[in-house]
Amino acid sequence: MRAKKALCFLLFIFAFNLIPDARAAEPVAVIVNRGNTAGGMDPGEIRKMYTNNTLKWPDGNPVILYDLLIENRLREVFSSKILGKDPERVAEEWAHLKITNQAKNPPVTVKSEALIIKRVAAERGAIGYVSLSAVRNNPQVRVVFTIE
Amino acid sequence: MRRSAKTAGLLPLTIMCLFWLTAPGPAAAEDRLDHLEQEIEELKKENSEIKKRVNDAETEGEETRHSLGLLSKLVDVSGYADAEFVFTGQEDENNKFRIRHLSLFFTKDIQKEWKLFTEVEFEDAPRIESNPANDTVSKSQGTLFVEQMYIEYHPTTSWDLRVGRFLTPAGIWPIYHYPPYVPTQTSPLFYKVIFPEVSDGLLLRNSFTVLDSALDTHLFAANGSGNPGKTDRNQNKGAGARVNLGILNGLSMGASFYGEKDNQDIRRSSYGAHLLYSLAGLRLQTEFAFRHNNASGGFNDRGLYAQLSYDLNSWEIAGRADWYDRNDKVSKDAHYRYTGALNYHFAHNVVGKAEYNRNEFDDPFIKDYNEVIMAIVVAIGDL
Repeated sequence: MRAKKALCFLLFIFAFNLIPDARAAEPVAVIVNRGNTAGGMDPGEIRKMYTNNTLKWPDGNPVILYDLLIENRLREVFSSKILGKDPERVAEEWAHLKITNQAKNPPVTVKSEALIIKRVAAERGAIGYVSLSAVRNNPQVRVVFTIE
Repeated sequence: MRRSAKTAGLLPLTIMCLFWLTAPGPAAAEDRLDHLEQEIEELKKENSEIKKRVNDAETEGEETRHSLGLLSKLVDVSGYADAEFVFTGQEDENNKFRIRHLSLFFTKDIQKEWKLFTEVEFEDAPRIESNPANDTVSKSQGTLFVEQMYIEYHPTTSWDLRVGRFLTPAGIWPIYHYPPYVPTQTSPLFYKVIFPEVSDGLLLRNSFTVLDSALDTHLFAANGSGNPGKTDRNQNKGAGARVNLGILNGLSMGASFYGEKDNQDIRRSSYGAHLLYSLAGLRLQTEFAFRHNNASGGFNDRGLYAQLSYDLNSWEIAGRADWYDRNDKVSKDAHYRYTGALNYHFAHNVVGKAEYNRNEFDDPFIKDYNEVIMAIVVAIGDL
């Protein structure tokens, strides 16, 4: 029994250590303000916003883009699945646009998902991406696309 | 007998071991284990609560920094610097180290809708010394150049107005040419020739959505080439425009125009077309430009380049074919350059470059030559 318990304990520790990996596979939610009248979005529409090809929402509100830090796993998923590029390459392209002052509407890079949620909840034209579980029951923001 | 005694000794021991391993432990030990499990559960709860509090505090801090940053932002300084070694086969030129650029960009958000943008370029490590007796320049080397300085008004992200000195908006390379973000140290041959490098004047940028595609337009009026700062040597003004249409994801193309009557009273009209296509790591960039010069019976100078590059993780490989003909009425006047480059990105803002150039001339009196450039380039600032 003791051996079983020891084995169970080891399995528990092992499973506990696996939790971050389980989170790594968690879907990424693209979120907008609850008051945003836009319906669901497709990857093409999101890409157009994050590449400054679309600067306004259909209701005329300016788009405010939020990004996570370059090393953030969610940014990696978002960059590769939506923008089709590594976050490093995307960052270089923004840097080139910023250094030439040609960036029309560059994303605001923040450190935490919590801040993205807070700002998207507060700003009508804001769009960002976070873990789906972080906004599942949040009434202040709306999920417009989920990256599985 | 000895064997059976041994067996008799081992058997109880084996049974005891099996009993110990399989039988339920003593009640006290089991209680301790349950207690430990309970403690672990409590610690986990505490841990997640602490994590949540730390996260909230960090978010709060970041929010404060963000707000403060927006309100009290000082001047943003960014830029780039590069140093290189050039092995050259060009006649009358030596192999050399070159402290090529130190370019500093100063950006200040004056108000929500007003911005000051400045680029000061130090090329070839400039040094200027005056003669103490009469304040004349006794020694000068390198270039010190205010490449850009304008005040920008941007009420929305869709349009802005710039007044001052700006990079002439024409094609791709005249705007997007900064060494950390282009694969080569050399520029296309027609760059700075067919369209002026910078213009002093007024620039209006407007962005539209046309049939679900982004259309960027630039419209500007300026002193004209060779008339920097307050030194406008003629009454004429130059004017130009650029359009760029993002057709599909990764594909954009456009056209540019610039016209002026220069300081020699010669009307010059420049035209350009550009195309950029990127797919995954592959990128094709090509530009054609020509200028009609209304002098000596009229002649055109024209240039074309096509550049293909491919990104693979930290590596980038690029090739470019380049042509410039300074006068279409004169035969054997063209210059061709074939470039191959390999870049390694040590980090997103540190690039090592190795570049080979083959220069060929139609003119038999100009000797063809090869050149190899090894460079290290860094981008500066929080970009």
